[in-house]
Amino acid sequence: MDEKLVTDASLRRFLLGNVDDEERQRIESLFLTHSLSQERVTAAEEDLIEDYLEDSLTAEDKERFLERYADSPTQQRKLRIARSIKEWAAKEGKVAQTDPATVSARSRLREGLRLRRLVVIPVAATIMIAIALAAIWVNNSREQQNRRIALEQEVARLNSASGLREVASTSLVLRSVSVRSVEAQPELISRPDVQIVELRLLWMQKEHYPTYRAVVRRVGVGELVTVRDVQPEADGNSVRIKLPARILTRGTYQIELVGVAADGATSPAQEYQFSVT
Amino acid sequence: MARDSAIPPGSFDEILAWLNPDRDVAGEMYVQLRHDLTKIFTWNRCNDPEGLTDEVFDRVARKVHHLRQNFEGDPRLFFYGVARNLIKEAPKKIKTQVSLDDTDLPANLASEVEKETAQMREECLHHCLQRLSSEKRDLILNYYAKEKQAKIDHRTEMARQLGTSVETLRVRVYRIRGTLEQCIERCLNRMAQGK
Repeated sequence: MDEKLVTDASLRRFLLGNVDDEERQRIESLFLTHSLSQERVTAAEEDLIEDYLEDSLTAEDKERFLERYADSPTQQRKLRIARSIKEWAAKEGKVAQTDPATVSARSRLREGLRLRRLVVIPVAATIMIAIALAAIWVNNSREQQNRRIALEQEVARLNSASGLREVASTSLVLRSVSVRSVEAQPELISRPDVQIVELRLLWMQKEHYPTYRAVVRRVGVGELVTVRDVQPEADGNSVRIKLPARILTRGTYQIELVGVAADGATSPAQEYQFSVT
Repeated sequence: MARDSAIPPGSFDEILAWLNPDRDVAGEMYVQLRHDLTKIFTWNRCNDPEGLTDEVFDRVARKVHHLRQNFEGDPRLFFYGVARNLIKEAPKKIKTQVSLDDTDLPANLASEVEKETAQMREECLHHCLQRLSSEKRDLILNYYAKEKQAKIDHRTEMARQLGTSVETLRVRVYRIRGTLEQCIERCLNRMAQGK
């Protein structure tokens, strides 16, 4: 069974009941056992539902869609709820575009700059300001770089063999984000007495690797730190990483974990999410 | 669907151990497998997908001790094989079950769903949106703000700004929307019951 042979077109035919029994069983088996195929099937289903709600399906596909996704009151309700959410977003989006009260700060800034172009600013003053800003920028970026290096070193020490023996103040078990998973996002409660946070990342792929690399990002901010050369637990089914609690301020965090083979090749990434409250 | 009560004691633990030696991972796999099988029964237009999923686990539970020692390959494929057999059997059972369900469930969900109005859905939507963080609300609002061709470019740009891939963004939005939908369903059920 080769998941590469499952194209978007064949997934759509599958979801609309337009495939033979052999193809149906092949796709269903992949859906059960292969995480990337699962995500693709569910993504294709999401696209199909959106196309229906946007009235983009052909008459024949629409009929088949309704047979499969609207033949019970419960399914009809789910579709109505999905439609309500899309309609709300479309309506709010339009209001944001037309209501002057909600014009973004960026648009106001752009408008301000346009008006200022009409004002003559002495060239010398502009150059001085530019020099001052450049000096501040260089200083700030050097400081940021130093802070980043210090953090990477601290995290590397925490995740070394000796560092992992240190007892963490709190820990959280995370499973990889899957398109199909809709359960609540794990939460970490921020406490002043917590120094070190341990995250146990469950590895769902069949292949195991000698080391792993985890990139921690804060959603909306960007990369926070990368933890390299992490060894898996003895059974290979999970990876533990430790982070200083002070860097986990309130917000949503995303971790991308990849297995690294002996020749440096990397596995498909698994993503995890949690929030700090 | 009627359940067979002759399930050997301890078989649940054996199923978990068969799925994966690590109990945490096995627990996750068990929950996921139930969800996936229910989905497969739904795709095959079977009545009572949850009941059929229970039946798959009951049938496997009766054989799991033997299977652990003799079955080679991914255990989930054995569960799938049992599910396929049930899908073939299901049409006959649908015919005999319909009338029973109708008489057994005087206040079934269907009648509650029919009572719902657009206004109730809107009230519940706003109630549930308030329960989301502003970050999640903004994300879902942005994601669904455009339609048809325009949405593709819009979502690509959103992913770029968030420093992630379109696929990852889709996963994130799907999770938020799932939570939102569940909240709305619960809210509508409460309204229909007059609470």
